Amino acid sequence: MTGKMNASASTTISQLESAPERAEYDLYFGPAHPGSGNFGVKLKIAGEVVTSARADPGYLHRGFEKLMEYRLPIQNSVLSDRICVLEALNWNLIHAEAVEELMEIEPPERAKYIRVIMAELSRIQSHIIWFGAFCIGTGFDTGFKLAFGYRDYILDLFEMITGGRVYPAGYICPGGVRRDFPDGAIQKIAHVLDQIGRMVRIEEMENLGLVARAKGIGILKLEDAIKLGATGPVLRASGLKTDVRKDEPYEVYDRFDFEVPVRKEGDTYARYLLGIEEMKQSIKIIKQALQQLPEGEVIAPKFKRIKLATKIPEGDVYVRNEVARGEAGMYMVSDGGDKPYRVKIRGPSFLHMIPVLEHLLIGAQIADVPAIYWSLNVCPADLDR
Amino acid sequence: MGAKEDLEILDRITSEFNLECKVQRKGRIWLDTPTEGFVDFCKWLKEQGFTHLSAISAIDWPDEGTYQLAYHLWSYQDRILITLKVKIDRQNAVMDSVTEVWDGSAEAHEREIHELFGVKFEGNNNLTPLFLEDWEGLPPFRKDFDWREYVRGKYYDRQNERERVYYD
Amino acid sequence: MAVKESTKLKRLIKAIWIFNWFNSCGFIELVPVVASRWDMERFGMIIVGSPRHADVLFIAGYQTLKSIKRARRVYEQMAAPRVVIALGACTMTGGMYWDSYNTVKKLSDYIPVNMYIPGCPPRPEAVFEACAKIFQHVEEMD
Repeated sequence: MTGKMNASASTTISQLESAPERAEYDLYFGPAHPGSGNFGVKLKIAGEVVTSARADPGYLHRGFEKLMEYRLPIQNSVLSDRICVLEALNWNLIHAEAVEELMEIEPPERAKYIRVIMAELSRIQSHIIWFGAFCIGTGFDTGFKLAFGYRDYILDLFEMITGGRVYPAGYICPGGVRRDFPDGAIQKIAHVLDQIGRMVRIEEMENLGLVARAKGIGILKLEDAIKLGATGPVLRASGLKTDVRKDEPYEVYDRFDFEVPVRKEGDTYARYLLGIEEMKQSIKIIKQALQQLPEGEVIAPKFKRIKLATKIPEGDVYVRNEVARGEAGMYMVSDGGDKPYRVKIRGPSFLHMIPVLEHLLIGAQIADVPAIYWSLNVCPADLDR
Repeated sequence: MGAKEDLEILDRITSEFNLECKVQRKGRIWLDTPTEGFVDFCKWLKEQGFTHLSAISAIDWPDEGTYQLAYHLWSYQDRILITLKVKIDRQNAVMDSVTEVWDGSAEAHEREIHELFGVKFEGNNNLTPLFLEDWEGLPPFRKDFDWREYVRGKYYDRQNERERVYYD
Repeated sequence: MAVKESTKLKRLIKAIWIFNWFNSCGFIELVPVVASRWDMERFGMIIVGSPRHADVLFIAGYQTLKSIKRARRVYEQMAAPRVVIALGACTMTGGMYWDSYNTVKKLSDYIPVNMYIPGCPPRPEAVFEACAKIFQHVEEMD
């Protein structure tokens, strides 16, 4: 933190009284901060109010898009979980869909239902992290401990089905899923959904301290949200009813009956309540999927024995999915070889962190900066890739 | 949300401008556009309802000597995605900026492509580096920069027994 | 009279303070160590906000060229005796991103590392096992 006001040892009281009212300081809300995590924002403050903000990304840049050009699609499906660590199965799904659309292969019915169940479970655990991080940013430590305690039920379920707690090692691969549910998985899913229902009831209880810190802060109006490119829960909390699962249904989402929650105020409290509503809708989708689950194969016959070199026909596709943070896109170009020629990954946090955050922080108090930052549900890993 | 709306948009585009379109599947339209008049075409598209600039991608074709830029636009009311593909020269990569059409989101996309591919956008005066700090060298995502050779030369030692595996 | 290094360390392991540099993929399995299922506060470990108060630095994954400079500065601000624990496969040989131009392949070229924990990412129980090994090593020092 560097101050720009000259205060030498011989400053007298009269000099201090005649100094300008609000000199501007530079404050670096940087990567080693418990309120921000892996991302830096350069703020200019005058008194307690922020006058301008500049985002400083790049601490996690690995160059994913070119790493994928050196690997076969079956190797890429293991690499694609690491695009954003907080929602690994959703990114697995979008990569598998892109390769299948280029090769014009349709996965079997049972595989599509299993994929939807895993993607919705991953969305629920990502929203629980959102709630926990928001609590720790505003000082409500009990909420953080409760949230991460209940999240472990879902991680145990992932370990039973896919083999890994956080990274499923390419469980959703082009052609279907790698293996079927083990015995006892369906009963365990029903048990876990009960526990998550309890967590949602805890989150819904109004905590006056949290309400006081979140209501009326960081208001994002609808025209600004569309102009700056916000998507997902951030856009829905400002008033526009849109969801990729309803606009362009992929997998089997058109067979389920669920609603898209919308709020009009656009402030931090509205985004917080929207996260809770979305978790309830996800629980509803999983229950319907478990009832409609058919029997059958789980992987397309062409991929049954993993052939390492399968040529991808020439062409290009753009696939859109709804991950927990917003709208994700993958643009894949192939020139007829066995490795993709170019993969472009569009993450939802790219536009949430650079234009939207810089716009929302102007005029805010310093103590509200963590609350606004965590309410946008950002993931620095899918900005830098 | 059906093929009927796709065809309506296609008719409007072919009647106003003289361009060739292709409908890949329901909700996806692909266009090859020239670079002249590009910004005016984008302004017209924005008035038709394409208010969301989803992404700008760049593909490197070193054999033809061109970069191909792809602009992906989404319309919330008609639910259609249009992709505009533009080709520019690789040695001297200059393109008009669309920040006056989609002000707010286009600037961040163009900064990323400037840093990773070296394309200069005229009209965007905030082309500062986004991800890398003190990088002197080729723009990293070009096809003539082979990452595996670079990493083997700089970090791994062929004489070391345990690191020899990285050399096959 | 100078105090011996081993005595300092034996006093230190009664309550270890960890600095909050939660960087890269590995941190997602360090958060359950802090939270309620594998509670680490019962062993006396807490998270602090400033490196000048901390004894242990967890480097939880790959570092890029931009973040290794900040990590080095954080390491230099910690007061001796200090311990660096490196989690994950990316700190040992480069891991899954071995052919990326922007990541650091061997962490020990930049910061001296006392203990490596393998895994991608390592489980929370592995973190406790590493701490137990450090305690045992310190107890056996003379």
